[in-house]
Amino acid sequence: MTDCQHFDPLVTPFIDGALSDGERQAVERHLDLCPPCRARVAVEQAVRDLLQAHKLALNAPQAPMALRAACAGLNSRATVDVARRPTFAAGPVRAAAWATRLAPLALAASLVLVVGGAFLYQATDRSSHVMAAELAADHLKCLAMNVVLGAHQSPEAVEGAMASGFGWRMRLPENPSRAGLELVGSRPCLYAEGKIAHIMYRHEGRPVSLFMLPETVRTRELVKVLGHEAAIWCVGRRTFVLVSREPKGEVERMASFVQAALR
Amino acid sequence: MGEGLHQVSPAFEAGALALVDSLYRAALRLTRVPTDAEDLVQETYLKAFRAAGRFEPGTNLRAWLFTILHNTARNRARDRGRDTVDVDSEVVERAADTRAFGAGRSGTPETPETLLLRDTMAPELQAAVDALPDAFRQAVWLRDVEEFSYAEIAAMLAIPVGTVMSRISRGRRALYERLRSAQSVTGRPAPAGVIDD
Repeated sequence: MTDCQHFDPLVTPFIDGALSDGERQAVERHLDLCPPCRARVAVEQAVRDLLQAHKLALNAPQAPMALRAACAGLNSRATVDVARRPTFAAGPVRAAAWATRLAPLALAASLVLVVGGAFLYQATDRSSHVMAAELAADHLKCLAMNVVLGAHQSPEAVEGAMASGFGWRMRLPENPSRAGLELVGSRPCLYAEGKIAHIMYRHEGRPVSLFMLPETVRTRELVKVLGHEAAIWCVGRRTFVLVSREPKGEVERMASFVQAALR
Repeated sequence: MGEGLHQVSPAFEAGALALVDSLYRAALRLTRVPTDAEDLVQETYLKAFRAAGRFEPGTNLRAWLFTILHNTARNRARDRGRDTVDVDSEVVERAADTRAFGAGRSGTPETPETLLLRDTMAPELQAAVDALPDAFRQAVWLRDVEEFSYAEIAAMLAIPVGTVMSRISRGRRALYERLRSAQSVTGRPAPAGVIDD
């Protein structure tokens, strides 16, 4: 029993692999001789295994789009406001209020078409500004993940992913270096109940994203949002959005190049 | 670089924003109310961007942000006059000690524990986790789902490492008892009285 009391605090770090070799071997020797402690280890281990097995499902809730966009906008707010120290009592910007502010004027000009069962945005009447803000947030997120994963894909791999993921048989622009672009790779981005294609480039080392939204029609537009420029255009039932922090003229130039060279 | 002038690098910003889902889930667990969770996440980012200069590149950005989030949540609770974590945890830890451990001893499982939990589905597990007292829920979740180290969790919850380990241990055992009784008695998650009544 004295032994068991001694080993009790070691059970959890034993399961978590946080013991030194010597401690671990001592625990193992004790467990060989002590069925009650073995049962205790088995209980904790079973729960840990169960939680890990269901990790994906437990981690399913995602931040609402408006929250993502609001957070992406907070950096400039923090930088601008830091000298003034705005009252925290007033609380941070409410995502919903932010989205309302961001959704001015352009509603009438934007046309959203949802065809068949394919569906992308929960709120189809959102303005192009809000769509651009959401994509700017995803632009940052996917590129950050790409940095973490260190992925670098060939044009063939990206084209294959587009064909299998979206039934989109396309050819990437040849010699993207003509526009100062270097291909990084692609990701399918999850959106509400659908997904959109995200092809990542670098322009002189800085990230550029090309999104393709299937079964979506938008008017041609250049939108400035969250410190990013978003060039929006449409081919057939596909909407393309090129997002980058590069200057407006540069973004227009890259968008024209991609639009002309993408087959 | 003065207080009023600071630059947040694009890499820091992108890295931080990539964690919004993870932070939102943590905030939901802390507040249990979606609008409060959104406020908490935004306040966390605002503080993080302002304090970006104090983040050491190469260290764990996720753990750093989680620490800010938990500190912010604690301050908010304190401002409201409720110190939820510290007040209830001690009572709860004593209760868990007698009930969960006692039950585990007397009812030494006849079948291997993993088999017993094998048919547990995610919603059932989620419900059992949600029903755990705050102090245990945070510790178990941060370790087993978010996979932070004991030291990182200790910094987030502002408690000693030894307490982190004992909360994880007791939380896991309480969770086991909850799931076990749910399966053997009703086939549904047990009412929230297994350890904290």
